[in-house]
Amino acid sequence: MQGPRIISVEANSASFFSRNEFLIRRLHSLTGLVPVGAYMCIHLITNASTLGGAPMFQKNVDLIHSLGPALPIVEWSFIFLPLIFHAVVGVAIIRSGNPNLSSYHYVGNVRYVLQRATAWIALAFIAWHVFHMHGWFHNEWWLENVANEDLGGHRFDPKHAASTAALALEAPIRKLAYFIGVVSCVFHFANGLWTMGITWGVWTTAAAQKRANWICGAVGIVMTVVGLSALVGVAKTDVVAAQAYEDTKLQMKQEEEQRVAAENKRLSSLTAEERLAERKAREANH
Amino acid sequence: MIQSTSHDSSAHDTHHAPPAQFTVRVLRQDVPGGSSYWERHTVKRENDMNVISVLQRIAANAETADGEKTTPVAWDCNCLEEVCGACTMVVNGKVRQACSALVDKLLVDNPEEIELRPMTKFPVVRDLMVSRARLFRALQKVKAWIPVDGYYDMGSGPRVSAESQEQAYPLSQCMSCGCCLEACPQYTKIELKQEEGETAEAFQARQKEAYDRGFVGAHAISQVMLFNKHPTGAMNAGERLDALTAEGGIQACGNAQNCVAVCPKEIPLTTSIGRAGRATTVHVIKKFFDR
Repeated sequence: MQGPRIISVEANSASFFSRNEFLIRRLHSLTGLVPVGAYMCIHLITNASTLGGAPMFQKNVDLIHSLGPALPIVEWSFIFLPLIFHAVVGVAIIRSGNPNLSSYHYVGNVRYVLQRATAWIALAFIAWHVFHMHGWFHNEWWLENVANEDLGGHRFDPKHAASTAALALEAPIRKLAYFIGVVSCVFHFANGLWTMGITWGVWTTAAAQKRANWICGAVGIVMTVVGLSALVGVAKTDVVAAQAYEDTKLQMKQEEEQRVAAENKRLSSLTAEERLAERKAREANH
Repeated sequence: MIQSTSHDSSAHDTHHAPPAQFTVRVLRQDVPGGSSYWERHTVKRENDMNVISVLQRIAANAETADGEKTTPVAWDCNCLEEVCGACTMVVNGKVRQACSALVDKLLVDNPEEIELRPMTKFPVVRDLMVSRARLFRALQKVKAWIPVDGYYDMGSGPRVSAESQEQAYPLSQCMSCGCCLEACPQYTKIELKQEEGETAEAFQARQKEAYDRGFVGAHAISQVMLFNKHPTGAMNAGERLDALTAEGGIQACGNAQNCVAVCPKEIPLTTSIGRAGRATTVHVIKKFFDR
């Protein structure tokens, strides 16, 4: 007779994800609000300034781009890396669940499913949106051969903010895609804000969760209005006029830069005595 | 069989007379891990029937709707007054206790048929009987009890405020039925098969480890809040919160809130989840900075 074979229990073979599940899930929750959610709100508000005309939008874009070489560092540490983390963990979370909406038609269950559906839409939309506007990578070969006009990538030029944004969204199908994308992102943010409050224990009782629901709903409605204003603002932009303004502004900026460069060159060619004499003459004039 | 001829109190709110008989569709399974199949039974309607009495009639009849001989349908039950949780099953697509599922009310929704299925999140033992071992293992994992270190008289315990009692009492009504787990989209079925030659001990150990890695569920989270609220139980509050932040802990909750919607005892499970969320937040931060 064959004796019983002993199958040993697997020694603690837990993966990194399972050993740190709590921490990872809480970081996923946190990154949804800051920086990813907060960034989305700033982004939508900035874009809504297209309603104020091409000069106002250009001013806001210039303000962001005044970070210069620090901009990619800020973008990667506060936008892309947290967003990629939120997305990767989010996909793992979605795969861990088993929706049962067909059996249980409760509002909370509908929202559970919608949170996951909008997550997929947001993931696809944001990936395409970053390609559509920025081409993903600012490498020259990539921009010429992959993220080019044929594939509809890299359509946004920060120096011609309003006009390129308007041209990029000219096709109605693109406006529709942005409409669906923005509404999905805003729902995911507002609903996620509410569940986050339960996760971290901010609102605990049913009554408190109901009150919080109104607040998160209001945040969602306001951000939907802001997001759709951006789409309306872009749709209403007069491309020719915006381009004329942007070109004039660029030309003025170039002329100013040339003037400053010429002045610096002249000053550097003077001797110390001549510079002193010039400054004294200027002071005497005042 | 007694047929009441006096006023029919059970056929309330309906203009149609209740049917004389109805069909019961049962999802049966002969052995653990085996395949399941549907079987139809015809049952004569009587006054004040519940699903348990329907299953008793099916067992007594032992014949399918087509007149074929069949084995009695197996099910679990005990208290018959919705306080033990043993007869929990999926009735017409919703998880509930068979004892409090009244036939006349079910026939209002569908006068022809009642559908019975075993719970889908637990391994089926036979027919409508499931093994809820994982549910009880979760209570072990979170130490859902108050330890006593002897049987001698330790005197009266600390006083509990009326407010605290009011918060604790609803949580103490949990009967470990498993409805919250059945309706939870984040609680997915774990069913292991005993390997050939594997000892019962080795199989149980493997099962325990698998259960511990899965989501503990709303019932266990709520019990943590109950026992951490108790002045004596609070002495082990940290251990229970450690269990809730381990793998399969509270973080696996997806906030669908089906648990609170299906709970037959109307336990404020999502309030417990919110409170446990706050307690674990404070607990891990404290642990990180105090070590």
